[in-house]
Amino acid sequence: MLPDLSPGVLLAGAVTAAAASLWLLLPRGAESRAARWLGLVLGAVALAGLVAAGRRLGSLGEEGVFLTVALVAVVSGAATIVTRSPVYSAIWFALSLAGVAGVLLVLGAQFLGVATIVVYAGAILVMFLFVLMLAQPSGLASYDRVSNEPLLSAVAGAVLLGLLSLSIGRLSSDASCCAPPTRAAAVVTAAGNAVSPGSRRGLSEDTMKPGAEATGSAQAAAGDAADPLAVDQVARLGGELFGRHLLAVEVAGVLLLAALIGAIAIVARGEAALEDDRRLAAEGSRR
Amino acid sequence: MQPLSPATLLVLVPLLPLVGAVLTLALGRVLGSRAHLPAIAGIAAAATVAVMLLLGTSNQVGSAHGPHAEPVRPVEMITTLWQWAAVQDAYVPPASSAAAIPGTAVGGAGSAARAFTIPVALRLDPLTATLLAIITCIGLVVAVYSIGYMHHDPGYPRFFAVFSLFVFSMSMLVAASNFLVVYVFWEAVGACSYLLIGFWFTKPEAARAAKKAFLVNRVGDFGLAIATFLLWMTYGTLDFHDTLSPDGTILPGILGQTRLADAGGIVGGAVGTAICLCLLLAACGKSAQLPLHVWLPDAMEGPTPASALIHAATMVTAGIYLVARSAPLFVACPDALAAVSIVGATTALVAGLIATVQNDLKRVLAYSTISQLGYMFASLGTGTLLGFTAAIFHLVTHAFFKALLFLGAGSVMHSMGGVIDMRRFGGLRRVMPITAATFLIGSLALAGVAPFSGFFSKDEILATLHAKGWPNAHGEHHDAAPASHASLSLPLERVRSTSAPAAMRLASHARSPAPAAILDTPETFRTLFWMALATAGLTAFYTFRAVFMTFTGPTRVPDEAGHHAHESPPVMALPLMILAVPSAVAGWWLFSSQWLAHFLTATPSFSAPAVMATAVPHAFHMDLAIQGSLAAAIGIVIAAIGHLGRRSDGPQMERFLGPLQTFFANRCYIDQLYAGLVVRPLEGLAFAAALFDRFVIDGLVNGIARLPAALGGVVRRLQAGLLQRYALAGVMGVLAIVFVLAWRLRG
Amino acid sequence: MMPLVAAGSTALLHNALLVGAILFALGLVGILTRRNLIVMFLSAELMLQGISVSLVAWSRYHGDFGGHVLVIFVLTVAACEAAVALVFVLQAFARTGRLDAAAWQALREATLPRAVDHALPASDAIPPRWPRLARAGIEPPADDAAALEREHV
Repeated sequence: MLPDLSPGVLLAGAVTAAAASLWLLLPRGAESRAARWLGLVLGAVALAGLVAAGRRLGSLGEEGVFLTVALVAVVSGAATIVTRSPVYSAIWFALSLAGVAGVLLVLGAQFLGVATIVVYAGAILVMFLFVLMLAQPSGLASYDRVSNEPLLSAVAGAVLLGLLSLSIGRLSSDASCCAPPTRAAAVVTAAGNAVSPGSRRGLSEDTMKPGAEATGSAQAAAGDAADPLAVDQVARLGGELFGRHLLAVEVAGVLLLAALIGAIAIVARGEAALEDDRRLAAEGSRR
Repeated sequence: MQPLSPATLLVLVPLLPLVGAVLTLALGRVLGSRAHLPAIAGIAAAATVAVMLLLGTSNQVGSAHGPHAEPVRPVEMITTLWQWAAVQDAYVPPASSAAAIPGTAVGGAGSAARAFTIPVALRLDPLTATLLAIITCIGLVVAVYSIGYMHHDPGYPRFFAVFSLFVFSMSMLVAASNFLVVYVFWEAVGACSYLLIGFWFTKPEAARAAKKAFLVNRVGDFGLAIATFLLWMTYGTLDFHDTLSPDGTILPGILGQTRLADAGGIVGGAVGTAICLCLLLAACGKSAQLPLHVWLPDAMEGPTPASALIHAATMVTAGIYLVARSAPLFVACPDALAAVSIVGATTALVAGLIATVQNDLKRVLAYSTISQLGYMFASLGTGTLLGFTAAIFHLVTHAFFKALLFLGAGSVMHSMGGVIDMRRFGGLRRVMPITAATFLIGSLALAGVAPFSGFFSKDEILATLHAKGWPNAHGEHHDAAPASHASLSLPLERVRSTSAPAAMRLASHARSPAPAAILDTPETFRTLFWMALATAGLTAFYTFRAVFMTFTGPTRVPDEAGHHAHESPPVMALPLMILAVPSAVAGWWLFSSQWLAHFLTATPSFSAPAVMATAVPHAFHMDLAIQGSLAAAIGIVIAAIGHLGRRSDGPQMERFLGPLQTFFANRCYIDQLYAGLVVRPLEGLAFAAALFDRFVIDGLVNGIARLPAALGGVVRRLQAGLLQRYALAGVMGVLAIVFVLAWRLRG
Repeated sequence: MMPLVAAGSTALLHNALLVGAILFALGLVGILTRRNLIVMFLSAELMLQGISVSLVAWSRYHGDFGGHVLVIFVLTVAACEAAVALVFVLQAFARTGRLDAAAWQALREATLPRAVDHALPASDAIPPRWPRLARAGIEPPADDAAALEREHV
């Protein structure tokens, strides 16, 4: 499908293409159909490069699912920032959230996937939309048609992405830098013992065949400690949250309360300040 | 009450005026119009003490005549007040330097290391005693005169304070027995002179004149400083007198009797000549000799009493004193001596010529002072005992009659409402008879008319010049005196009896062979004699020109005089009358009695064998007297033809001089020459330095100051107020950190 | 039940982290470039999503709940932030009538001119308001401050 490139060159090409694509697609005042198409093509090339840079997960089904949700998240995220209309941006963001929720589900975080949808898409995004409806003038505002330093920002983002992905790419070549903790190692060992005794020492993806037995042995090996992949993982997460992290939860509750009160206070005080501002502005213009 | 010792009295002479000065300064505001009291009391007491000292020293020296006459021995008394500085082992004489070893190898300590000591020592010898008496007595008379002259001046206390301070400084200058202390008070009298010239400092001319005097004197002071250094390097001491070191050896001073007794003790040759020329430069500065005379005419901007005391009678004679005091040094260097004479005679002639066309009464007197000081230098430069004593003789008589003339001019100025231009006066003898009479006496003395004092002193100077110019012919004037110096006639024969043979013997094997004299030739002195004679005529002419213009002719009083046009008050007239007496008779008395000449011979500097060897018998040279009187008479007659009885503002006889009149009226363009040679280049240099400072230095400083501003101007453009641009800058920083982390993770 | 990859799989961790990084970078670019305050917030949320994905990926790799708990707190803080920030946005809008981040330039250096957009096409320019005709012979008053505040050039 793709030429066999070394990972570094592949990543460099992909992030360069991504930067160029973003630069072309970001709002820049004058609209140009050619630039848009070129940007889309470059974006596709960048996506392809990034997909090629990804690791094979083993089973085609899992790969397909992950690829789908990840692409949805990434493409919608890109659309969020390049779309002129903020309303469309919000909708693209909702779609991106769905993709992220899918990725979270693939990663085995069912509760978080659902919570993201519920909290973000259901609450926060709707709030954004309310604000937009309150504030957005009819049609596109001038400030929605132009960007601030698109080239520099795109290059900065691409460099960041390049550096991050290079660092991430080193995971396989040098596993000692980020060896899993004891419990996970036990799980891996158990899985290796159960499934493929011949290749027990590596953390290479070839040996990582998921399986119910492996999970079960891992659970057995790790005792009844917290296991994100357990069937009753939501209950376990709740136990973890209200057990080890009870104080943090209380603090988070206080934070929410403070934000609530603060928002109200700002609105209440803000009205008075607004009146003052208008009066001062009027005096200024009279002078 | 015990009589005070001479040492105490000697200390009192400078001390009393100093106390007077301090009191006047401290109580000036309280005393108001009586501010003169402390100063005058101090100076009067000092004058009394100085006269006592003079008489006491005179007794010590002994009489020139009479049955008790005996050989003159040097008279010297040293009082060391305190040790100013002492540095041990500061000077090791070079082994090869003959001069570094004192003439007598007392204790064999000639080549041992010596300490650098500056004792503040006062000395009393005939020269000092004479000058102290002159300074304090004339100072007292002038101070009394100032009571009237400075009346109602706002700076009344200041005047008397500085005046008193000057008397102190001058007394210390002539009494000090160390070249460094002399230097200190040399500067001190210069400072007093500066303060008094610039007394009316709000007047631009006065301020400028004070500045000019100070700066021109600096040139001379530089010479004195160099001379002091050279003396230290050469002799290893700066003391005049011999000192007794703790181990009992005698450390000979430069002018101490130990060194003077040794013919080779004084260094001649190039070093000696250099020292003498530096001393001459210093003397030229202080005594306003060519080429440093330019400050004295301008110094007339000061109050007239200050001009009388400082710029006519005393301070300007400091140069004479210095050369006379250093006489043994000069005698060892004939060329330097001749240079002294040449400078003096030239100055006398040039200043006399300039004085003939001046219309400012005080300026006439100022140039006259320069001219008379030149006479004294010419006399000093002959290097004979007679020359030295004649110079001091002329100094004394000149102090009297020139102070008198200045005070008379001040009296005229006081009455005429500050006007001093002679062309606006006429017939003032009818308005102010006392002033006119005393001024006439002073003028007769200055012109050298027979019985008055200037005649005798000038005659001696002419005689000593004549003796150098015609050494053989001069001897023939005195039938009893052979040409040789070996045997000399009365009355100094008895002096010579002991010291002269020794001097001759020592001189015969002097350590340095006498160099061929370049300047010290009879021809030189013949020329100088004729110049001096011409100057005598000129002196008579300009003096009487001033007298005739001011006091004769139709009575004319300038408008500025107002109701002032009357004789000066008694407090001013009395000093005039007092000074008129010595102006008239001092010369005759001092000449006929030979008291002063005999008295001065006891000064260590003059009693040195090398000086004594030149002693000639005292005689009255009728032919020279006739020549001098003839010159004076011609001058007076020409002045009378031109000015007697005429209006002083009419066409004057100077117009016959043609372009020369312009030349002399512009003071021979010497000021302009200095302006072109020294002042303009220095101003150019200063201007260049100012430009350098303004553009290079300031530019550098401002550039450094602008650098941060320029950098700020560059960086400031980033502060656009756009939040996202700030955020972008932050992201750049984050990227840098991430880059470093990723680089380290590379392994 | 979702298809599950074994804990400790570096392949899944790698891919998930890559997705997280991409989302983070996209959010970063968005927050740097887009001028609309709301879109800037959306971009910030996008960055948070990237972080969430990374956290959960590590949690999965390590086989514990640490990442999950952190993500829950991220959600909480994001909610607070959204509440407070939207209030600010509304206040800002009430003052300027715009959701433009570049409307707040008062913090710039006093000597610098106000930044204006040069890139907008002429067709988007606000229709010119012709000045009222001044009386003949009198120079119409120039309003420099207003000229500085103009959005289009």
